[in-house]
Amino acid sequence: MSATPLLRIEDLRTYFYSRAKQAFIRSVDGVDLDVARGETLGIVGESGSGKSVTMHSALGLITATPGVISGRVVFHDETPRDLLAGLDTSARLERRDDRIMAVEKDNRAWQKQVERNLDGIRGGKIAMIFQNPKAAMNPYETIGAQISEAVRLHTANKSPAEARERALHWLDAVRIDSPRLRYDNYPYGLSGGMCQRAMVAMALAAEPRMLIADEPTTGLDATIQARIVELLEELKTRFGMTMVLISHDIGVIARLSDRIAVMYGGRVLESGPAAMLLEQSEQGHPYTHALLASMPRTQNVKAGGRLPAIEGEVLDTINVPRGCRFRERCQRMHDGIRARCAEQEPELVEVTPGRRVRCWLYQA
Amino acid sequence: MASPILEVKGLSKHFAQRRGLLSMFSGTTAGTIPAVDDVSFTLAENETLGLVGESGCGKTTTGKSILKLMPVTAGEIHYRGQNITSLTPGEFRPLRREIQMIFQDLDAALNPKMRIESILHEAIGLREPELDAEGLRRRAYELLDLVNLKKNKLANFPSELSGGEKRRIGIARVLAVRPKLIVADEPTSALDVSIQAQVINLLRDLQDQFGLSYLFISHDLPLVELVSHRVAVMYLGQIVELGMAQRIANAPRHPYTSALWSSLAEKRSQEAVTGTAPAWGVFDFERPSGGCRFAPRCPVYAARGKPAACTDPQNAPHLREIEPGHAVACHFPL
Repeated sequence: MSATPLLRIEDLRTYFYSRAKQAFIRSVDGVDLDVARGETLGIVGESGSGKSVTMHSALGLITATPGVISGRVVFHDETPRDLLAGLDTSARLERRDDRIMAVEKDNRAWQKQVERNLDGIRGGKIAMIFQNPKAAMNPYETIGAQISEAVRLHTANKSPAEARERALHWLDAVRIDSPRLRYDNYPYGLSGGMCQRAMVAMALAAEPRMLIADEPTTGLDATIQARIVELLEELKTRFGMTMVLISHDIGVIARLSDRIAVMYGGRVLESGPAAMLLEQSEQGHPYTHALLASMPRTQNVKAGGRLPAIEGEVLDTINVPRGCRFRERCQRMHDGIRARCAEQEPELVEVTPGRRVRCWLYQA
Repeated sequence: MASPILEVKGLSKHFAQRRGLLSMFSGTTAGTIPAVDDVSFTLAENETLGLVGESGCGKTTTGKSILKLMPVTAGEIHYRGQNITSLTPGEFRPLRREIQMIFQDLDAALNPKMRIESILHEAIGLREPELDAEGLRRRAYELLDLVNLKKNKLANFPSELSGGEKRRIGIARVLAVRPKLIVADEPTSALDVSIQAQVINLLRDLQDQFGLSYLFISHDLPLVELVSHRVAVMYLGQIVELGMAQRIANAPRHPYTSALWSSLAEKRSQEAVTGTAPAWGVFDFERPSGGCRFAPRCPVYAARGKPAACTDPQNAPHLREIEPGHAVACHFPL
């Protein structure tokens, strides 16, 4: 990609210290991602793979005291801005063998720096929609008031009357019928699908450059999911919105993404054009292939009605093993590379134009 | 087809809707919500019947009614030819071992203060009270082996297990009482795709091994199509279509089934090209007062110029067989 991406994430690491386990949970462990202007990047992965934490870290939403973030997240608006700048001064890390061994964190200074870094960006230039709309919205305020607030905070429409008009416009844009009536509804008075629409309206009200959708369809009914996917698709075509879509639902990712990144155990294992990743070929990372094959689709069914499951459990991100993270569940590891898989983690290298894979199979 | 292990006839479950605090004492109600309304189906031995529908359509209520976990308003449930609807809890007790349920929320279904060992021993003790400590342990190992779990998990608490492991413990506990019929309520809903496939394979193996019958409740359509022999589609408390899984998925006759299947994100992307996908507005749950319940959302109803038959309260569509083994409740099947 020649043009500068809108958002560039470099070597992002987010660790949480677990007092109970006396160890670091390495939720995100060296992630590099680019989001180009106008494209939709889909991030897939199983639960615990770090896909949400990656984007939450980028937007300073990791507020828990024991959370430590390092790396660079550069947002290229008019001037490039590192959203993680200066955070390292309020956290002191003790490293040994490339591993963080201990941490001291000044949480108040950290929070202040986050506020400074993200001022005008979070909610304004980068808006986010969350998995559980009812929990993400304020239950004590009407949806109209919440959307107007976003309008007044982030756009030039400052008067209450103007803000109300804009809010109604956005409610209409997300296809909520009779927006004037719905304006005065509280979140609990809306169904799940409606509430998700209201949240999309709230995100759009700030007229952002980029939208991050974290599991926007999870927990909704199939028919409602389809509507939300349609809505997001419309945002893409109508407003040319740059989007990051986080989901474990490959169907949703397939429908909306231009590019896909597959995450596992806090790392990107593969990234590339959506169409290329989704065709079930032996190209690409064994994990992507196994993930697609384990989906309940008729063409995946083997003899006796069995699905090709990926044996084993999702990676334990506390005791991350040496070598390749997917090694223990990998079905395509052969004797020629076995020693290397166990010894050293492969780099993310380009195997075909645009497609980058982290696997020794492709690095002879 | 073999003789049915389970036969449900005209099952209804209405929940009373109360208004305000005082009505709780006075007993007056503001009306009833028909969560399940006149549902009938049969389940053969060694068969899997899928029950699909959107949330709130009464899938789980149907499942719980079969286990007599809640009293029914009307209708009969026959288990191996015996009417179990009016049995007292004491009379039903021996049958309860044979009819089991895998619950949706295992964090709620497994006691967090009990170790896996005690959870399993308790269940085994119910079925085989004569076993001594050694026998209990052997049977617990056997069960763990059945669900492909390691023995060292016995000392763990449920909170220390992953989602897939908890699911297996839930299944092992159900198997402990050697059931014949299992109501599986969203058994894979909280699991990742790779783990989901493991659990589905496990359920299938167990069916082959023990000749189990499943009522498989899920809102995940491709999954239901895959695991079920027959599928029943529910809409607002009623079964609108019932037939062989392949037929329901590939040649649905009820407009709702068709809409449900085509709403799958993946399938729709293909259909959007050909333009066959129905265009709907935003809706909430609309419960029409009479006639066909699906009419307000129905593309066929709209396309046919809103025929009066669909909204006539005297003429609600009933499930009728339109071809062998395929029944549909619609005046104008596709």
